[in-house]
Amino acid sequence: MRSMLVLRGAFAVLYMVAGAIIIAEMALTSLHAGFKVVTGIVLGVAMIALGVHRLSLIARMRGKA
Amino acid sequence: MAAAHAGEARRPELRRAVTPWGSFAWGYSDVGADIFVGLGLVLAAAAGASNVAFLFAGIVYVCIGLAYTELAAAYPFAGGGSYFVLRGLGDIFGFIAGWAVLLDFTIDITLFAWSCVDYSGQLAPVLVGSVHPWIHFFAALGLIVGLCALNVVGVRESTAFNGVVSALDVVSETTILCLGFLFAFRPDLLVHNMTVSWPTPYQLMLGTSLAIISFVGLESISQAAQETYRPSSIIPRTSTALILTILIFALSYSNLALGMQPWHPILGAHGHHLQFWQIFPGNADNQGKAVALLAAQVPYWGAVAALYVPVLGAILVLISSNSGVFGSSRIAYAMSRSNLLPSLFQRVHPRFRTPVVSLVAFCGLAAITLIFAALPSLFPGAMHFYARVFHGESGLDFLADLYAFGAATSYSFVFLALIALRLVDPHSPRKFKIPLNIPIRFRSEQTSIPVLGIVGFIGIFSILVFTLMTHPIGRVAGPAWLVVGVILYFIYRKHRKLPFLHSQPHDWRQDQEEILRTSGDLELLDQYHAALKAADERKATNA
Repeated sequence: MRSMLVLRGAFAVLYMVAGAIIIAEMALTSLHAGFKVVTGIVLGVAMIALGVHRLSLIARMRGKA
Repeated sequence: MAAAHAGEARRPELRRAVTPWGSFAWGYSDVGADIFVGLGLVLAAAAGASNVAFLFAGIVYVCIGLAYTELAAAYPFAGGGSYFVLRGLGDIFGFIAGWAVLLDFTIDITLFAWSCVDYSGQLAPVLVGSVHPWIHFFAALGLIVGLCALNVVGVRESTAFNGVVSALDVVSETTILCLGFLFAFRPDLLVHNMTVSWPTPYQLMLGTSLAIISFVGLESISQAAQETYRPSSIIPRTSTALILTILIFALSYSNLALGMQPWHPILGAHGHHLQFWQIFPGNADNQGKAVALLAAQVPYWGAVAALYVPVLGAILVLISSNSGVFGSSRIAYAMSRSNLLPSLFQRVHPRFRTPVVSLVAFCGLAAITLIFAALPSLFPGAMHFYARVFHGESGLDFLADLYAFGAATSYSFVFLALIALRLVDPHSPRKFKIPLNIPIRFRSEQTSIPVLGIVGFIGIFSILVFTLMTHPIGRVAGPAWLVVGVILYFIYRKHRKLPFLHSQPHDWRQDQEEILRTSGDLELLDQYHAALKAADERKATNA
């Protein structure tokens, strides 16, 4: 159970880091690309949101345990 | 309705044994399979704006997902969209929404059986549709017949099996996503492809209407709700994760497809280099197995992914096809019990206790649509007819047309039901509400209008308009399906001496109490009683 939580936590952090990298990449490109990077930025934000959501669920489970 | 059902001689109820992960896996095995079918079709249609098509459809899908989450948590009853619309807008609209969902589930059976054969064809070339159309056809037909037989006997894939496949797929897709963005993605290439291959407005509308098929299957959220203990707490948590996960995979794959440097060079007919997305337009074989082709182009991992992704994809889409078989029969059964369809659809097999008439009827329809979809590839003579009447659409396009129409129609009604239920049923406890609400007073009761519900309705309605404008088959066969359904509904209601346009009497209060009691949400039941009591007292004071 504990190892599963650690694994899921690592997965959530991975999503957040990947999302942040994608946003950074897209933001650098946006200087000359304008709106064409919007989909990438939304993707990055969604990844960070999913990571935060998963971490909050894990925190809630740990709180109950 | 639920109460009426409960009152009928203690009919056995669905066991509430689905865990949070089981609830997620249930939805994922249905909606998660869609990107395996949708990606290639959208890349072929929307070219350099495929990611924009997915973004537009994805925003609408988030609104749809939130709407289903609110409704499924408030009314955890397996009837899904049809039940919400029946309750919010009345019998006739409940029928139309349910009938549109039935179209979707029927097409779902064929589309995913077809796609299962396409993905299998990546490893078994004998199944490639363009080379061996008859084998491809019979393989898809065999899957439909086999799934029908399994469902008649009562064998379903278990929640545990769904969970394992979903977990493997999430890990696999995340690996592909991370390695793809880390080693193969070039933002400048994405921008270049979007600039030089931007589609015409017609193509963009076509791509957007196809992109919505990557987000179909949210009925499973409400389906799972009736089998989840304390759904008002569990459903919002799992749905949020499901909605975000599906959105991430759709956006990441479309961005990767446009902005990835292929691991192996892709050469065109004249020996010149192609971008990855350029292998999809005009190539039905590639469109049917897009995710497997993309995974194989990811550096380092691609060699392994090329072997297991087609298998994983084939299993996932087969599960989705099975959910179409199961879902269509169950919705027809539920609609029949609500006097929206003839009682014939309630008939169960004497030995296996499964709705055999519904199962055979909708699998039969699925087989007929398969014949229509495959006809031009089986008989080249039919190609001229299809070119003249259906603008040459066949195969996956044919199925995707109807799938998009059914989804857009039923989702439009669900948004209207969400808004209507906020107004006519403000007392049912909503543990989860769509964000952004405007408080109002309606019939002297305090309630609110969901802004995202209105945004979502405008979005899905525009996708319905795109579908009607850009799909030659969808704009004929889709409305024809609805018209035939409404005629049958009128005949049936006349035969049963029930009102056509008006609703038969329903005791929604008793229904809601029954739903909350069986779900184990006893605090919500107390809240509901308190809200009703306060409302009754207010009415008495005003009178």
